[in-house]
Amino acid sequence: MATDKKTIKFELVTPERVVLKEEVLQATIPTQSGEITILPDHIPLVSILIPGVIELKKMTGESEVISVSGGFVEVLKNKLVILADTAELAIELDEQRIEEAKKKAEEMKKWKDIDAVQFAEISGLVEKQLARSKAVKRWRNLNNIK
Amino acid sequence: MAKTKEISRRIKSVSSTKKITKAMEMVAAAKMRKAVDAVLKTRTYANLSWETVLHLAKIADNHNEVGHPLLIKKTEVKKVALILIASNRGLCGGFNAAIINKAKESLKKHNLETDIILVGKKGAVLAQQKYNIAAEFPKSDLVLSAVETNPIARMVIADYLLGKYDKIMLAYTDFVSGAVQVPRVKQLLPVDIVANDQYLGVVGKSETVGTSRSFIEDKEKQHLQSGEFTYEYAFEPSPKEVLDRIVPRLIEVQLYQALLESNASEHSARMAAMHQATESASDMVSELTLFYNKARQSSITAEIAEISAGANALA
Repeated sequence: MATDKKTIKFELVTPERVVLKEEVLQATIPTQSGEITILPDHIPLVSILIPGVIELKKMTGESEVISVSGGFVEVLKNKLVILADTAELAIELDEQRIEEAKKKAEEMKKWKDIDAVQFAEISGLVEKQLARSKAVKRWRNLNNIK
Repeated sequence: MAKTKEISRRIKSVSSTKKITKAMEMVAAAKMRKAVDAVLKTRTYANLSWETVLHLAKIADNHNEVGHPLLIKKTEVKKVALILIASNRGLCGGFNAAIINKAKESLKKHNLETDIILVGKKGAVLAQQKYNIAAEFPKSDLVLSAVETNPIARMVIADYLLGKYDKIMLAYTDFVSGAVQVPRVKQLLPVDIVANDQYLGVVGKSETVGTSRSFIEDKEKQHLQSGEFTYEYAFEPSPKEVLDRIVPRLIEVQLYQALLESNASEHSARMAAMHQATESASDMVSELTLFYNKARQSSITAEIAEISAGANALA
């Protein structure tokens, strides 16, 4: 790939760790007002991140898929900072375990006698698992693994 | 003989004290390891988020349309709230004294009516010194999630918005290393980039992320300007909606990070203090043993002298 292409400094951090920090060609991010794709020289933007899948195009031409669950996005001219609550690379995810967790979370949602705080927590959990399973599927499609 | 008995009793008591301090040192070391782990993990996140908030504050300074009540300075500052993070228990060297003195110093400098919000039991000494305490929050030894600081954050944000306070300060101890902890007072609200540098402490230090004024200006030059032209932020869906969510959340993160820093500092300070105590107890034991031997020897010498004097007298 040509090296003279413009890149974006991409930085994704969660309260637990720095998930990814590298130069990318483009990034697709789920925000509250829809999915957006950031290319170099994008105008500065601040937006709210919703649970979903981030897709990056690396300088090598490979794609990277990351599942996130809420947070904030700050876009600068050639820098992209994502402050996520949680984030995992698709490669790190195990589909079977996600499906189990998803089922469990959805079952929990059916429980009776839960208060608003618990309900919000469980809903968050369901959304997170959904995002994770989406990320795995997207990654598999990209890499032609069935 | 009486003297040796007394000394041996002291040796016994000092060495049992030594056992206790040694055990406390070990406990503090284990807690410190966990606390330091936690603080290092969240540092990058906290610093990056503070950087974003400061940046937004700077923009809000220039453009009123992106103003948010938490970002805009009040024209007159009448009442201040100071959140003071201290420890629950003592025996941690100068940890509490340092942070309390720092807070007092800052209060004296501002000379404004101030309410203090305490986190941790040891800050309560301020109540006996005519300082006004608005609230006291419990603090657990190992903080596991931001749930613990959220009530504090919510309270100060609400009070600030209601106009009860015009400025919120935060006094905490920055964890620099196992041996160095620095007490700091920083301005939490309003988020203000031009606040006095001393009060614009960084929560934690990270090599890659700075939150000083020059760093933010640098960032602006690098990422927001091209030639003469300066870009402006777009907000999606709308400035109000974004800022309403982002600013309180990032204030919470900041408080949480400050608590983690203080915890790591407290356990490090306690470990150091207990280590010193153990060492001086060892010194004391060896000194006392020396005295004990001397006393024992002189009593034996005296006895022999007496016996031989008696024998001489008889002969």
